[in-house]
Amino acid sequence: MARWLRLSIVLGVAALVVVLMLSFRRDPHDIRTGTVNKPAAAFTADRLDGTGTLSLSDYAGKVVVLNFFASWCPPCKEENPALVRVWERYRTSDVVFIGIVYEDATDKARAYVSANGVTWPTVRDDDGRIAFAYGVFGPPETYFIGPDGVIAGRRIGAINEATLVASIDKLRAQASR
Amino acid sequence: MTRERALILVALLAIVGAVAWSAWPREVTAAERVDRITSELRCVTCQGLSVKDSPAASARQMRDLVVQRVAEGRTDDEIRGEFRASYGDWVLLSPPASSWTGLIWLVPIVALVAGLAVVLGRVRAVVPRAADPSPRELAALRERVAREEALDLPQADGAG
Amino acid sequence: MTFSFADLGTGALRAALPLAIWGIGAAARAAAKRDGRALASARWAALITFLLVVLAALAMVGALVTHDFSVAYVARNNALETPLFFTVVSLWAALEGSILLWTAILAGATAYVAWRGTPALPRLATTALAVLFAMVTFFLLLVTTPAADPFVRSEIVPFNGNGPNPLLQNHPLMALHPPLLYLGYVLFSVPFAYAIASLILGEGGDRWLVATRRFALVSWALLGVGIVAGSWWSYAVLGWGGYWAWDPVENAAIMPWLVATAYLHSVMVEEKRRLLRSWNLSLVIATFALTILGTFLTRSGVVNSVHAFTQSAIGPLLLGYLVAIVVLSVGLLLWRLPTLRDAGAVGAPLSREAIFLFQNVVFVAATLTVLLGTLYPLIAEALSGAQLSIGRPYFDRVEVPLALALLFLMGIGPQLPWHGASRATLERQFTAPIVAAAGGALLAVATGLGGAFAVLTYALAAFVAATVAQEFARGIRARKALHGESSGTAFANLLRRSGRRYGGYVVHLGIVLVAVAVATSQSKTIEVERTVRAGDHFEAAGYTIAFGGLRSVSEPQRDLLVADLAVTGNGADEHLRPALLFFPNATQAVGSPGIAAGLHDDVYTILVAYDTTARSWATIRVLVIPLVSWLWLGGGVVGLGAVVAAMPQPKRREVMRALAEAPATVGD
Repeated sequence: MARWLRLSIVLGVAALVVVLMLSFRRDPHDIRTGTVNKPAAAFTADRLDGTGTLSLSDYAGKVVVLNFFASWCPPCKEENPALVRVWERYRTSDVVFIGIVYEDATDKARAYVSANGVTWPTVRDDDGRIAFAYGVFGPPETYFIGPDGVIAGRRIGAINEATLVASIDKLRAQASR
Repeated sequence: MTRERALILVALLAIVGAVAWSAWPREVTAAERVDRITSELRCVTCQGLSVKDSPAASARQMRDLVVQRVAEGRTDDEIRGEFRASYGDWVLLSPPASSWTGLIWLVPIVALVAGLAVVLGRVRAVVPRAADPSPRELAALRERVAREEALDLPQADGAG
Repeated sequence: MTFSFADLGTGALRAALPLAIWGIGAAARAAAKRDGRALASARWAALITFLLVVLAALAMVGALVTHDFSVAYVARNNALETPLFFTVVSLWAALEGSILLWTAILAGATAYVAWRGTPALPRLATTALAVLFAMVTFFLLLVTTPAADPFVRSEIVPFNGNGPNPLLQNHPLMALHPPLLYLGYVLFSVPFAYAIASLILGEGGDRWLVATRRFALVSWALLGVGIVAGSWWSYAVLGWGGYWAWDPVENAAIMPWLVATAYLHSVMVEEKRRLLRSWNLSLVIATFALTILGTFLTRSGVVNSVHAFTQSAIGPLLLGYLVAIVVLSVGLLLWRLPTLRDAGAVGAPLSREAIFLFQNVVFVAATLTVLLGTLYPLIAEALSGAQLSIGRPYFDRVEVPLALALLFLMGIGPQLPWHGASRATLERQFTAPIVAAAGGALLAVATGLGGAFAVLTYALAAFVAATVAQEFARGIRARKALHGESSGTAFANLLRRSGRRYGGYVVHLGIVLVAVAVATSQSKTIEVERTVRAGDHFEAAGYTIAFGGLRSVSEPQRDLLVADLAVTGNGADEHLRPALLFFPNATQAVGSPGIAAGLHDDVYTILVAYDTTARSWATIRVLVIPLVSWLWLGGGVVGLGAVVAAMPQPKRREVMRALAEAPATVGD
């Protein structure tokens, strides 16, 4: 059997090893595929507390933080205190938090909201179309929409205070330019 | 034509006919379109299942979306495009043949062709023998065949 | 508690390690210097190492059964309420336990070679023994260092453990599938070790191959049956109605099996015609390397999530082991290439050896496709950051034509003589099978099988079945003529005395059953999904499914929400209970299907969704899957055929022993 075949096998394995080692550098929390850097999909949804509807367009020109959550999602509970703290910090400014229920029963979502001190507006997404439009893989997921209406970034998995603040501040700096 | 050749010919025709009949392009129903499209979309909350196979809630909602789009008259590409816009190429279970990622479709063909080339290079036609073997050759052959039927190559087998 | 299973296990493994290292030296010396005392010490080292590793495995079982949560592995994979059966079975539920099982099997194979292999072929087997000791040493290093130490202590001893992964405590097949798979994987180390030994000694002949033929057949069979068992488990547990999804873990198991199948066949060419020597060595090396790659892919989580890779050092270590094996074996092969001469040439394109070669090409192409398809997303992401998926649609589209080509070759290969066949022979032999193929194709069309590939599968399945029947008929006629036996006796004697050939035909029949099962189930499955209230019923493919309501069941380790279904029609009368399982530590419920299995149809029911507030309605998905049971049956037939082929033939043992003790000859 030909020597070139053998050598190419060895070279192939070497190439594979190099490739596998390169792949360590990727951060699974920052998947860039999908809707990032595209205009945020508009939506109108029923508020979770039953007081009418909410549209994304109501907040045009502001920095919008969309947070997809569910009552059955433990990392959502874990990240919630950070969200509460950051919301308290920015609620009087041009930043808006909107919580969107992901694949959950309305009564359970309401119970979660009241039990965890979620005071920012929350809406239902019963047919999952909003989640689909944003490209949600599963809760918790947080999207940052700039004043220009473009999705600047997203975080898959529980988010921490530092990332929240950094992302919001970056977008607010953009707005004032 | 011998009887055997006639039978073979008829049989081959029947097979070709059956295959052609089953492969004939038929009117595809909406449900079949939905099945085909959803079988090529990846369920985003599962390990690797298609939207068609997965019983997960998110998959069923995506299926509803596909049903709606098919009813609205969108083409397969438009529907797939909508999924790609939200989730990227990752959501397609079968890489599109057009982009450079489509190179993967060439792999089996290249492997087969390369392998066949190597093998055919090594295969050499046997020198044709005389049409009828002599009675002695025939007897020897018969004996050999009978032995081969009943025996196998002995095993120098210490390791089990 | 002064006695601790964990201490026992740790001690046993730590004692085994130096013994294994000693074994390498002793075996090497015994081979090089023909030192009888070194051989004896190597033998005892092998046996004691094996006993120690088994002791460690039993100690782990002890720790699991006594719920010793001071051991991290037990805390992660067991809980007080886990039933005893699944507690014992969690020995192989996760990484460290599986590596321990692997080490135990490998040590067992080493001991077997040490005691049964070395008397028959002193130099070759002893060199192989040294290689095996080196492999055992590597795995012992894994289990005695933080990489995969199963007895590592918990930082904080929890009151109760996590319990096994919910998917792993559903089905008794958990007891069968991993051990079978691991036996299949690990036993391939023996042919590999003999191959390496043959290269080291520069023998250039076929003795290594003949000596390990049965080992290779047994590993192949265990791996194949293990894969089918895994497929059956995934069908019965995962709750989506399918049995194969081309998941990376599934692919990891099938790749070595495909190459091993190619190897089993080309081995015959080498035995009969002394050809393909270097090719067979390459195949054995490739099979073994793929078993390691498979373990690496499964256990390091590289393909599913890159981050899982870096959580334990085992990923890089397995990768390093794999690279070392490939580099060393290929190096040895290249070095000894001049000694590996073929004793002749392959015959005409229509000869058995040429068909075997074509079959090898197809198997290798199929394996390469699976390998590159599995790794492609990883490669693409590493090189360009693009994230893409390669799933069922790709693999199905590519592998099905290759499988059909293999079916075809399976039909013609055994019918063709070595060296070549004449036109007249071909016509005589293949008329009946081609007519049978036409019958198969027409049957497919008549039963409403859709799609060209399904019709071709039926045609080729009938073709192969007819050739097998023809072969059996010929064999029975030959025995009747030569020995005057009755048909029944002749049939039994074919299996007993020519087990290799006729067992092989039985295996082919098993594959035919599998092919028909796959084509039919993929083409004619009917799916119906309905949202129903208690008392409602609906139809699916001639069956009536009546929904009786939802009820809760509490078990010690989980809660269930069960949907009561009554399935009638087509002669069936079954009560199915698809359920959603709620485990204390899992965020979402795990679905558990209710299956009414039959020889003709499986009725597969899934509880998809339900009214969470009032439990007044439920969404039930019903799949009527035809002939899927033939898959498991076919797997069983393949196993049986392998047993027939592997059985030692009566009255030949003296001859075999004499041949085995003949001095080794280099070349032919």
